[in-house]
Amino acid sequence: MLRLDANRSVRFCDGLTRRDFLHAGAISTLGLTLPGFFAEKAAGQTGDRDVNCIMLFLVGGPSHIDTWDPKPDAPAEVRGPFRPLATNVPGMQISNIFPRMARHADKYSLIRTVYHTATAVHDTGHQMMQTGRLFTGGIEHPHVGCVLGYVRGQRGEVPAHVLLPRPIGRTGGNLPHGHTAGYLGRQHDPFILNADPAVPNFQVPDLLPPSYISSVRADRRQRLRDAVDGAMASFENSQQARQLDGSFHLAYRLMSSPQAREAFALDRDPARTRDRYGRTRFGQSCLLARRLIERGVRFVTVNMFETVFDEVTWDIHGSRPFTDIAQMSREVVPNFDQAFTALIEDLSDRGLLQNTIVTAMGEFGRTPKINPAGGRDHHPGAWTILMGGGPIRGGRVVGETDELGYRPKSRPVTTAEVAATLFHGLGLDTHRELPGPQNRPIPLVDFGVQPIRELF
Amino acid sequence: MARPAELKIAPGDIVLTGPKASQRLLVLDYASQKVVGDVTQKAKFSSSVPSTVEVDPSGVVRAKSDGEAIITATVGKDQATMRVKAEKTGADFDWNFRNHVVPVLTKLGCNSGACHGALAGKGGFKLSLRGYAPGDDHFVLTRQANGRRINPLEPARSLMLMKPSLALAHGGGLKLEVNSPEYKLIADWIVSGAPGPSKGDTTIQKLEVFPPEAVLRPKDQLQVIVRAWYSDGHAEDVTRWARFASTEDLVAGIDDSGAVTVGGSGEAAISVAFANLVATARIAVPYANPMDEKVYSASPRHNFIDNLVLKKLEALRIPPSPQCGDREFIRRAYLDAAGILPTPEEVEAFLNDARADKRARLIDSLLKRPEYVDYWAYKWSDLLLISSRKLSAPAMRAFYSFVRQSVADDKRWNQFARDILTATGSNLANGASNYFVLHKEITDLTESTAITFMGTSITCARCHNHPLEKWTQDQYWGMANLFSQVAIKNGERPGEITVQSLSAGDVLHPRRGVPVPPAPLDGKAATDSADRRAFFVNWLTAPENAFFAKAAANRVWRNFLGRGLVEAEDDLRQTNPPSNEELLDALARDFVAHGYDVKHLTRTIMNSAAYQRSSISLAGNKADDRFYSRYLVRRLPAEVVLDAYSSVTKVPTSFTKVNVGTSGGEAGTGDYPLGTRALQLPDTQLISQFLDAFGRPERGQTCSCERQSESSVTQALHLNNGQTLNDKLRDKKSRIEEWLKEKVNDEEALRRIFALALCRAPTTDEQSRFLGIMAEAARDPQTTRREVLEDLFWAVLTGREFLFNR
Repeated sequence: MLRLDANRSVRFCDGLTRRDFLHAGAISTLGLTLPGFFAEKAAGQTGDRDVNCIMLFLVGGPSHIDTWDPKPDAPAEVRGPFRPLATNVPGMQISNIFPRMARHADKYSLIRTVYHTATAVHDTGHQMMQTGRLFTGGIEHPHVGCVLGYVRGQRGEVPAHVLLPRPIGRTGGNLPHGHTAGYLGRQHDPFILNADPAVPNFQVPDLLPPSYISSVRADRRQRLRDAVDGAMASFENSQQARQLDGSFHLAYRLMSSPQAREAFALDRDPARTRDRYGRTRFGQSCLLARRLIERGVRFVTVNMFETVFDEVTWDIHGSRPFTDIAQMSREVVPNFDQAFTALIEDLSDRGLLQNTIVTAMGEFGRTPKINPAGGRDHHPGAWTILMGGGPIRGGRVVGETDELGYRPKSRPVTTAEVAATLFHGLGLDTHRELPGPQNRPIPLVDFGVQPIRELF
Repeated sequence: MARPAELKIAPGDIVLTGPKASQRLLVLDYASQKVVGDVTQKAKFSSSVPSTVEVDPSGVVRAKSDGEAIITATVGKDQATMRVKAEKTGADFDWNFRNHVVPVLTKLGCNSGACHGALAGKGGFKLSLRGYAPGDDHFVLTRQANGRRINPLEPARSLMLMKPSLALAHGGGLKLEVNSPEYKLIADWIVSGAPGPSKGDTTIQKLEVFPPEAVLRPKDQLQVIVRAWYSDGHAEDVTRWARFASTEDLVAGIDDSGAVTVGGSGEAAISVAFANLVATARIAVPYANPMDEKVYSASPRHNFIDNLVLKKLEALRIPPSPQCGDREFIRRAYLDAAGILPTPEEVEAFLNDARADKRARLIDSLLKRPEYVDYWAYKWSDLLLISSRKLSAPAMRAFYSFVRQSVADDKRWNQFARDILTATGSNLANGASNYFVLHKEITDLTESTAITFMGTSITCARCHNHPLEKWTQDQYWGMANLFSQVAIKNGERPGEITVQSLSAGDVLHPRRGVPVPPAPLDGKAATDSADRRAFFVNWLTAPENAFFAKAAANRVWRNFLGRGLVEAEDDLRQTNPPSNEELLDALARDFVAHGYDVKHLTRTIMNSAAYQRSSISLAGNKADDRFYSRYLVRRLPAEVVLDAYSSVTKVPTSFTKVNVGTSGGEAGTGDYPLGTRALQLPDTQLISQFLDAFGRPERGQTCSCERQSESSVTQALHLNNGQTLNDKLRDKKSRIEEWLKEKVNDEEALRRIFALALCRAPTTDEQSRFLGIMAEAARDPQTTRREVLEDLFWAVLTGREFLFNR
């Protein structure tokens, strides 16, 4: 059994007052464990077969040539320091710095010809990859996960879309990054963790009451709050007032729901599982993503980095404040290789991969020719993204870039098509219209944009 | 219904010009000079001279030979007539590319943004969006694709006809039925040699919609017809090719053919677009409330606002809520005008004031308070994007000081606009110059100026004619050219930039590559070489300007009434008409007549009975949220809530960290001494989890949409478990500490917190519930007295009654 003041004692079996929070999570009285509840759901017993998604955002923009589109026959200044490695899918090769990924290539596909033509700054790519569109005319489009939440609503006590660990911060362009619900309204924004799940005493900020507010007190506060109703008649016809009450209700459910609190309680996973993902911010975020999906969250976005400045990231310009190729291969790559592989293996072991799309994407590729600082610069002309799980087939390679990795040679894929693929995979009609600004109807993707059929 | 029918035929007497001229007629039923029904389908039509003007059973007249005829429509015993003159029936006639072919393509959606009007076209075929560049379109249709798009010898073999009719595969599906009027028009045009647009083309001058307004009932149907008037004086029926949209589908929906179906009560504006013009028709659907006319004559009228609000309410049969009580009024007025709560002493003094004009006196005293200056300086700083995000800290302060001083001095709105838009010199010496530092790019400057001072967005017209307004791309670049001589350069001091107006320089129209004469949208072009910005301001602030006074009046109105007469507050455009047009006109006129005095405008609005209505709805006005039949409750702005937390708990908020630079990061700041209120901050870069969660605008782009008033789970979690409020409640110097020392009992504590936060006493029921819960807490050995008071404060300060103005 659980208790709200859980930062002191998580498991708790004494006689609880009637007022304790346990009542908020009525399913525990049915004698089902939570994963059991969702396993049943997944098996269709509750009629909910919706597909989920985990989007790993590789902030900075991985170099496609050094990662998943190696060019062994190119000249040294393009080829770079790494060699291709065969995977467990015949004919599919990736760079030899991803030994773990090579053993699981049947579980994901590579799309090697994503490109965009907007300004080559990080921010534009973030917008296009997370929403399918470049923001123009003051319109902020919604993140794919926010659209899913808008259409399907939340499942149980947990938010529909959770963003881990923090939103993308400044990356130079000073533009919105596309992680919000945009014109759909703030109530559809993702629930943002705003904390590092790898720190020893990780907690969701503001999710649990501070130590000085016991469950008895929190309950008393709600009852006192409900007692202010002398002016109720003023609020009867107010949508805004209903929304406020709804938010408080949801927040209270979240903070008092064993399901929700359990979902964020990373320390409930055994130490060996936590080690398997890597004890890094990204690794533990991936583990948290799995926990959240398992407990009903529909969409989890994991940002691998918050910024590209003064941090070792995929943004390998070669000189400070950026990263060079060697640093990337020493720190960033093993971190990703381990966490990504652990995630798809773990999801697969738990039977969750069949209804959970996992995608990993950056905002652009990097220039094929290594620059004088020993790095590579922004290159939206072609790059590789990963996609698998749910209805997306693994072990496929979509598209081929030219000999030097500059441009797609076959099957170019636009960022809108990537979004269409996610929408389609999530079971949403890509022609569906959303209420845009001034109620202008905006389809999920523009007319004629098709999902990548080869992946289904 | 017992009322006798009063029939008229629309559009009334007309002239049909040319051999193919036709006009669809409507038979409309009138009552008290208002259209109340469309009986066209029940009518039988006849022509006095069918060989001259023929009329078909559906009511379409066609010219047969030159001359005149009388058309009669008969519905039961009633009749109506109109005169039709036919002329030039023997003249040569070709469909005109600009005036016929392009509108057909637009109606069919061929040149829409989703199809060939996309920036990159579709399938290798690109048209200008909604036909803003007919010359380019003609070239594309007749010259590109090896000329296969048109085939003058065998028109039916033209790609232009084969693809949309699906004779050949077409990604866009079936758009054009073979032998439909549109198909024939295009085929005829191809046969005639596919002539292109020429300088001699007549151009469209205005659109006329019939009926311009109607009063209908649920389930009624009504056809709308549209006539276009051309530069040679003739008019044509363009209903078939006009595009229609309703502002309120739930009140009156409209289909592609212009057929309106009434859904529910309220008012809808039907916007009609043809070529690059738009026009509107209004459909009013009164509520089914049985209303006594005396309700309106007895309702209080304090000034012209009330006459016009009540006129609208009466037309729609919506009952006005009664006036609010004094307690509600004082809290409402303080929060709306100055962003503060009245103290319990102020509330009591007001309640005890027996003078008949005490509300007007209260308003006058509020407008003299320093907090009024804080509030409005903050509001206009939102509008002008003042922040250290793009400005250096001294520049941000200089700009804020300029705004603050302008509010403190009651600077007239036209002078305020002039000071900003013609600012020159150092941005540190003249803070207003920072407007040009913030909007360095000419497109940004042009568009932001339109939104800031005209409340209208012209952004669409940067790249193509505006789809929802009459603005053309040429007009956009004409306006942009008024700002082409602004130059900025770095000054001598750190963070200093100087703004100059040069005497030369033009911006080029991006498509045509030439400068457009510098003219403010539909105004005359500047001719002399003086500062073009001054020329713009003269046009902008002229009393007859259609936007300037209305935009300001609408913003101030929205601040007090919770919903703009035009909503969103910065979306003034013809296709988004005000919910009460007469009222917005009158407010703007009054504002102009009083020399653009914002305080006068504010006082007029606050003194109206409309502003002083109760927020409690009546059975008959529950559904109304836009005609001001009651005060609309709304969540308080982030800054106001935070300041109220400080004043109620007596624990000020400290602002000690600021976001810096574009590369991220934060720095400490000592610029804001403890006690600085959120509404006194000149900058939005001060770090505050609370203000961010509650929707403080970033001041990144000029848009009222930046400020968020929605509630979110994040806000609720923050109030429950976060530090902002909990820390104030736990503070050792808080009001709670005083009450503990004073040994205030439960009843007194309850009375006091209600008075402080809600400006009222608890009801008997509230009192018994509160005292019960508090007594139960007192019996709990784990709970301290302090905690009980903290929880009491928390409950009152997080409830909707506190967080909302009502």
